[in-house]
Formats: sequence, structure tokens, C-alpha cells
Amino acid sequence: MAHADPLGGGSRRREGLWLAGFSVPALLLVVGVQLFPFLYSAFLAVQDWSLLRSPQPKGFAGVDNFLWVLADPVFQVSVRNSVMITGVSVVAEVVLGILLAYLTSGSTWRLRAIRTVLILPMVIAPVAAGTLWRMLLNTQSGLVAVLSGTTGLPSPEWLSDPAWARIAVIMLDVWQWTPFVMLVVVAGLAGIPGEVLVAAAIDGATRWQSFWRVELPLLMPVILVAVMFRTLDSLLSLDSVYSLTAGGPGYSTHTITYYIYNLGLRNFDFGVAAAASWMFMAFTTVVIVVMFRLHRRVDVA
Amino acid sequence: MKEAVARADVRGVPRRRVDWISLLRWLILVIAVAIVVIPLTYLLLNSVKLPREFLTTPPTIVPSVLTPEHYASILSDPEFLGRFRNTLELTVASTIISVVVGTLAAYGLARLHVSPTVMTIVLFVFLFIRFYPRVTTVIPFFLVMRSFGLLDTVWAIVLGHLGITVPFVAWLLLIFFRALPFELEEAAMVDGASVLQRFWHVVLPLAAPGIATAAIFTAFFSWNEFLIASSVARNESAVLSMTVASFVTDKGIYWGPMAATSVVMIAPMIAFALLVQRFLVRGLTLGAVKG
Repeated sequence: MAHADPLGGGSRRREGLWLAGFSVPALLLVVGVQLFPFLYSAFLAVQDWSLLRSPQPKGFAGVDNFLWVLADPVFQVSVRNSVMITGVSVVAEVVLGILLAYLTSGSTWRLRAIRTVLILPMVIAPVAAGTLWRMLLNTQSGLVAVLSGTTGLPSPEWLSDPAWARIAVIMLDVWQWTPFVMLVVVAGLAGIPGEVLVAAAIDGATRWQSFWRVELPLLMPVILVAVMFRTLDSLLSLDSVYSLTAGGPGYSTHTITYYIYNLGLRNFDFGVAAAASWMFMAFTTVVIVVMFRLHRRVDVA
Repeated sequence: MKEAVARADVRGVPRRRVDWISLLRWLILVIAVAIVVIPLTYLLLNSVKLPREFLTTPPTIVPSVLTPEHYASILSDPEFLGRFRNTLELTVASTIISVVVGTLAAYGLARLHVSPTVMTIVLFVFLFIRFYPRVTTVIPFFLVMRSFGLLDTVWAIVLGHLGITVPFVAWLLLIFFRALPFELEEAAMVDGASVLQRFWHVVLPLAAPGIATAAIFTAFFSWNEFLIASSVARNESAVLSMTVASFVTDKGIYWGPMAATSVVMIAPMIAFALLVQRFLVRGLTLGAVKG
């Protein structure tokens, strides 16, 4: 035992009971609200059940739901959209986030004020951020259309053109979450000892060399964690797509999460939605495991 | 401080190039700030713009007259007021319960001398709950709430949120409690303080910043959350996040009320964020940044 025990064995046991008791409400909540629904959804994934066709599950469906989802062209489109939207968003957020972290690093009041303003998009409800961008990008009255009109830039049919609608979803994600990467990198920068940079400068490294050869490698673990956070959060986000494009036009901004939401909570096709969500979860679990291991390594270092 | 000075020296560049580089730096920063501030200002302007000014060609950006009509219309709408009240109730209830239950659990876990394996599993579960696709459990949760007759009540949303916020709060405070020196508690132990007394008089005061962070994060989460709320609430217990997206109808988009509702939803969070910035950053980056 690491600590001296000022109490006798009996009262230590009583203490242990108290401490265990402290954790019980949280445990009950996790079991009731997370674990049980979790197992329930595994059950649903192998049931033939659409609420619109029957009030009760119609029986065991084996892997039928999974096969149905895999064969559904909308699912395939949604996977492609998700990969594209999340991929481009995360790359843009990392590049811009690192840039902004460097440009705002410092503790003068101006830089601190700028950092404060830059993180504001993160506290806005994603569903409200989506409606805000819907206004900005409206081709009739939106600010973006007006600005591109006066500057002579092309003014696409933002939300009714499939390619531009996807770009709009990406822009919204980048607008709202680049500050997250910035914050993480700012914290990472603060963890680099000044001596390391001094040493590099003494060795004759230019500012640019010092960034590529010294700072970036040191920041890499932190950046990787930020990439995984953003990748998962972006894949899982529903509200912003829901309010910005509602998955449209057509299926052009259906993401995996939006697809599952639509199946389950709009069409009440429970079995199929659960099967789709379990496939999705298998993928995210892999990312979470990688992140967990990486995270522990960073923690030890 | 010495480090900061050393770093400033290294980051400095030869005198003559400084002007160009710092000019470019400030230019980029001004653009970045504009990209954040201009859309928010535009939203504010839209919320006080006359309906016909949304339809002029070329469109009106800065309204010619400021009209309170959109605010008047949503504030006189009993449905909107009900949703506003529900959102407040939801936020207050979920914040208080999350902080109490999560803090207790974190303290229990931190002091129970559980084996490293168990601790690893617990930490993994926390991370997993934070990141697994919630859309997986939303449908079963909907069914459970239906069978308990809780569908379309604020409590169903609160319960759904607690499933996420309690593990989050416990995670945050577990890190916090493990970093607290045990000696203080030991001293209290020698003086005969019970575990409850120690928790209340010694640990809680020290943990106040961590608890503040947890409470703030929970409040933001519950106020803004959409997926769980929209799946278990329909009419009676609907909340603001569901209203914001509801102005797009078959008959057209009601821009003015949509902007006014968005402002009502966003403005308090921005004001709150500016007030509690120090705590907020910690909550937003939990897990990505240690300590």
C-alpha cells in the first residue's frame, strides 16, 4: 500500500464501502443509459423490425439487415460522402489550426483577445451554426452571394448543387472546429521547452528548419490526437448537416450518421438502422482503440 | 517566464524582415477574426431585418430600419416560450445531476485503490462513451423511454444526456483527484475525519476549478444538444435546438424568426463563454490535452 494507514482494518473496510457507494449512481446510469441500449441495439441489428410495418419485432433476421445495408446504394453514397467531407475538413482544420496556433502564440492582450474571439464558433450549437450558414449561403439574399456578386467571383448555387453543397458542409465544419486544433496545438507548443529551440537556433537552424525538424516532430503526438478527435466528431456529427442541407440535394450530403438517423428515426426501420450503426461502430471502435493507446503513450511521456 | 523570454528571442527574426512578417501575421489574424465575427454580425442583422428586405434585388445586408418584429413574434409564441423553458430546465437539471453524480464517482474511483487493469478499462469506457456513434444507442433509448412512458418528457432528455455527461465529468475529475496530494486527506484522517467529512471539507474546495469546468461543459452540452433531444422529445418537451431547424417549411423559409431564434440560442452561450473562458478551454480539449 502506497500510503500509511492511520486507520484500523475495520474502518478501512468501511471507508472502502463508502467510496464504492460513491460510484454506484454513476455506474447505474452508465449501465442503464449506455450499456443496456448498446446491447439492445445489437439485438435489434439481427431482428426483422420496421415500426411502420409491425409494432413488434417480426423475428430473427440473421445477417439480412447487414446485407441489405451493404447493398443499399444510398449507404454506399453516404460512406463516400462521409470519407470525403471528413477527410477534407480534418486536413484543412489541422493546417489552419497549426497556422493559427503559431500566429496567436504569445500572451499580449491583443493575442489573447484574438484567441478568445477565434474559439467562439465552438460554443455555438451545431444546429444553429448550420442555420447561420444556410443564411450566409442562400443564393437570393445571403451575404456570401452578395460578396461574390460585388467582387465578380463566381456565385454557385451553393446548397442546390451537389458538389457545392458538400463544400458548404466542409466549410461549416472548418469554420466551427479549426479553433479546436488551434487550442490543442497552443497547449502542445507550451509544452515544448524553450531550451530546445534555443539549442536549435545556436546550431544555426533557421526559423523554418526549426519548425520542420524540431517543433513539428515534438508536436506530432498532440496533432495526431487532435486529428483523431476531429475525425470521429466530424463523422458522428448530425446536427450541422441536418440544419444546413438536410442531406440534400438528393443524397449528395448524406453522411453515414445522417443515413442511420434517417433510417432509424424518420423511417423507423429499426433493424436495418441498428445493423448500419453497428458496422459504423466497428470502424469507430478501431479508431478509439488506436487513440487510447496513443493517448496513454503521450501521457507517459 | 524565463522560458517565454527565451522563446521570444528565438522566435524573433532579423529586424528588417520583421515588418513584412508581422504585417502578414496581423493580416491573417484580422481575416481570421473577420471570418468569425462577420457571420455572427450578419445573423444579428437578419434578426432585426424587415421581411421584405430578405427578398429585394440586390439583397439588403444592412437593414434600413431595425425591426423588433421577429423577436416579438417568437416571444409571444407560447410554443417557443415552452421550448425555451424546457431548454432551461434540461440544462439546469442535467448540469446539477451530472456534477454531483460524476464528482462522487470520480472521488470513489480515485481513492478505491482499484487495480491498474480496472482503471485502464474504466478510462477506456470513458473515452469510448465520448466517441462511439451515439446514433447507435439513440433508437434503443427511444424504445426504452417509450416502454417507461417517459417519451416526450424533459426527463427523458435529461437521462439521455446524463449517460454522456456523467462519464465525462467523472473522467475530468478523476484526472483532477489523482493529481491532488493525498497528504492533506491523511492529515484529516489522523484528526479522525470520516470519509464524508474529508470529501466535503478537504477535497471539494480544492477541486472547485475542476468542478467548474465540468459544470460549464455539461451546461453547454445540454443547451446545444440535438440528436438525443430530437429523438425522445416531440411536442410537449421539445427544446430550442429542435426549433432552430424548424423554420424551413414547404411554404418557404422564415428567415427573420429563424435568425431571431438562432440569436436567442447562440447569444447566451457566447456571453457565457466569454465569462468562463478559462474553464471552458479545459473542458473543450479534455482528453486531447493533458493536465
